[in-house]
Amino acid sequence: MGIIRGFVFGTFLMSLASVLEARPISYPGGSTVMLKQDRRVSSQYYHYSPSYKFSIGLENVNDQGSQEQFSQIRATYLTHRKNTAKSQRNFYVAMGLSPESSNHYFYGVHGDWESRRWYSGFSFLKKRVAGQRRDERYLQFGVAPYLGDYGDFHTWIMVKAKRSGFSQEWEVYPMLKFYQGDVLLEMGYSRNYQWDVHLMYRF
Amino acid sequence: MKSLILMLLTLGVWAYSIDLSARDADHQHHDHSTSSDHKHDVPSTEASGAEVGQQDEKYQRFVSGLVGARVAIISVQGMVCDFCARGIEKTFKKTEGVIRVDVDLALGRVLVAYRANQTIEFEDIRTKITNNGQTAVGLEIVSV
Repeated sequence: MGIIRGFVFGTFLMSLASVLEARPISYPGGSTVMLKQDRRVSSQYYHYSPSYKFSIGLENVNDQGSQEQFSQIRATYLTHRKNTAKSQRNFYVAMGLSPESSNHYFYGVHGDWESRRWYSGFSFLKKRVAGQRRDERYLQFGVAPYLGDYGDFHTWIMVKAKRSGFSQEWEVYPMLKFYQGDVLLEMGYSRNYQWDVHLMYRF
Repeated sequence: MKSLILMLLTLGVWAYSIDLSARDADHQHHDHSTSSDHKHDVPSTEASGAEVGQQDEKYQRFVSGLVGARVAIISVQGMVCDFCARGIEKTFKKTEGVIRVDVDLALGRVLVAYRANQTIEFEDIRTKITNNGQTAVGLEIVSV
């Protein structure tokens, strides 16, 4: 357990130093559709980016814990970006609010640092679902086993440490991320979430 | 779980060693190149096709079949994945006078082929790249 804690803490420090996450904003005029599914929650999310700094969209959430289905308007703003020859680092603020009920909302921050070889990211969200507090946070670290060029099939091997809004326990599990062109698929498996799948299409 | 972490750490060290080798190779490549080395110091330069024509295979493929065109070789920072570069490609493809666009993630380079009579301005290119969230730091223009 000490090794796991050390790893999580190390990843967290790396996150603070160079900040990370999963591209919540598209290019100007770009649209994105995201589907997320795990044992607890499934959602379908569409967002539009009028600029590279901002996206706004609508998400339909099916929450298994509360047995509720609701929609929410989501917005993400890029507050910081640092481009270098070999890397990019981003820091975002995000929020969501359901027009149907004030019992569903969230706000928080996430960030990422990424090179062609390495990835690290974090997210910290304060959530309220069906009137219940469901704070959620995760840390993610990844490595690309090979460097593909533009348009190639890309693969990432990742580790995610997630603290669920349900159990309030940290869980560390492996994930794989694949993308090519405008399509991205991320999937992992854990005891609590079982299959954690994230599909994204950008157009 | 311990074995999983050990496996990932091993993979990480292996990947890092490959990164170092690639960096060494990249440095050696720059040591041997001539006309392109100053492009980060001087944002915009114009070169002849003969000078730059000796560049890498990807560049040669890009200019293959182009006649009477001008190629903008743009150095871009922050272009670390396909998703970062997608907007740049789409923007230039919509630009009047552009014949062909290609992205090279390894070199942090965007190649844009324009018609010969098209004016190419670094400020315009820089604005397009900035509006997509990346940073243009150099431009070479080559007539082919």
